[in-house]
Amino acid sequence: MRRSNGLLIAAIAVALVQIGFLSWIVMARAAVLRDGREVILKVAPVDPRDLLRGDYVRLGYDISRIPTSLLVEPPQAKSTKGHMVYVRLRKGADGFWQPAAANLDAPPSGALAPEEVDILGRAYDGQSLEGDTAIRVEYGLERFYLLEGEGRAIERDMNVRNFAVVVAVGSDGTPQIKALMDGDMQLYQEPLY
Amino acid sequence: MAAYTKRLKQDLDRWVTRGLVDRSTADALLADAVSQDRRSLSFGFVLMMMAALLLGAAVLLVVASNWEAIPRLTRVVLLFCLIFVGYVGGALLKLRGHDALAEGAWLIAAATFGGAIALIGQMYHLSGDEEAALLTWFGGTLLAAAVLRSGPLTIGAGGIAVFWMVAKGFDLWSGGDLSRAYPIVAALVWAVSLWTGSSYARHLVALSLVLYAVVLAFHYDVTAVSLVLAGVSALLFAVAVLDPKRTEQIVRLDGRLDMHALIGFLTGAAMLQFDHMEETATLVLAAVIVFAAIIAALLLAGRESRGLRWIAYLGFTFELCFLYVTTLGTMLGTAGLFLASGVVLALIALLIIRVERRMNLRAA
Repeated sequence: MRRSNGLLIAAIAVALVQIGFLSWIVMARAAVLRDGREVILKVAPVDPRDLLRGDYVRLGYDISRIPTSLLVEPPQAKSTKGHMVYVRLRKGADGFWQPAAANLDAPPSGALAPEEVDILGRAYDGQSLEGDTAIRVEYGLERFYLLEGEGRAIERDMNVRNFAVVVAVGSDGTPQIKALMDGDMQLYQEPLY
Repeated sequence: MAAYTKRLKQDLDRWVTRGLVDRSTADALLADAVSQDRRSLSFGFVLMMMAALLLGAAVLLVVASNWEAIPRLTRVVLLFCLIFVGYVGGALLKLRGHDALAEGAWLIAAATFGGAIALIGQMYHLSGDEEAALLTWFGGTLLAAAVLRSGPLTIGAGGIAVFWMVAKGFDLWSGGDLSRAYPIVAALVWAVSLWTGSSYARHLVALSLVLYAVVLAFHYDVTAVSLVLAGVSALLFAVAVLDPKRTEQIVRLDGRLDMHALIGFLTGAAMLQFDHMEETATLVLAAVIVFAAIIAALLLAGRESRGLRWIAYLGFTFELCFLYVTTLGTMLGTAGLFLASGVVLALIALLIIRVERRMNLRAA
């Protein structure tokens, strides 16, 4: 009897731990969508398809390349390996947000102006930080999943028109895609759950 | 009842009637054989595991095809239910003695956990996190294996870890890198396998470590890594042959450490020779060492282990073909190539037949 109870409790515990973990990811992401600051980023496309995840378009942004001249403190490290990048975005006159400053591993010092927000990204490994160059940064915003078969059409349109992405940025800088825009038209709006 | 126990029962009956053994001894012997038989892997059990893997794959594919007809929150809840039902239902089945069904249900639950990670990634357009996703899946599966004391789940976790190591090592994702943490991950699987009593998981880990050495060789220096792999393997082989009992107590590989060591040695030798394909002198020296090693392995450990013998034959054939292609192959015309191939194959076959006969004679 004790053994049977033990195994059942163990099974329930495993199920709850795994479900709890998954729920936690969902909650964290939904919280960013709900409470994050909204910014609009200009898109530059790349290409679709990934086996396990259905159809998606790969997205690149103006802020995917950060010139080292924007770094507020000269970097101590010689290479980007393992470094996080905080980028201070400022709203431009055209409504798109552009990088104003950046810093490695910590937000740029100084208080945020009303039209500013800090976004967190990760520098691709193995880039030199020496001299006047630009570093490539990944924000976890580089994919947009679509219905099967729609990837191609959108990819084609992207080469002709300007696309943009509405991003919610959490207080710790975690970004989360909120909507995909074709010019002024909203193509997809993400529900919280 | 399996073929062996059936035959044993007939033999025992005959021995009892001839008065060679008494009835009680015969019954005890038969009962022991039957219990051993049950413990070994049955065909039905393997089929059940394969069925579970297929069902698990179906779950993953449903996620992959972006199943838009159902609202996504519903899909997530559905997967959560499947995880819960899989683990708890598996436990209930286990308690009723349906071991194969129980392990199958657990495998499906673990696969669903992986599918749910992918689905959530897709829901929120998460990118660049394949590695984190795989490691999370691995962690969840290994945890389930440890808590439920499940052998198949241990193997599953080991499989995910191997996939992670290979995918990362061979640059499947952009910015691929050597998975330096793999030895730690392998050690974790090993530790859990001791608790869950899954020697198959340990065999998987042992093989994966050889594979890891191959990945290491690609990233660093082929010659150095190959030499170390071959050296360590030779050492392990020696230890396994010199003190089989104590070695088995430590490694718990069903007495097959010698086989894994031979695989490691041959892999190291093969990489070394591929790397020095142009240098005939090195090739010949390496080939002589490999042939000597294979013969030594056959003589030292071949009698007890059929698996080791076949690895040895395979290594021998491979080495011969390799030498032949790199040295003689270019000198012969097509007809000559076929002729020589036929002769060489016949020689190998003759050799295998003779060795097998001698081993069987000695074993008998």
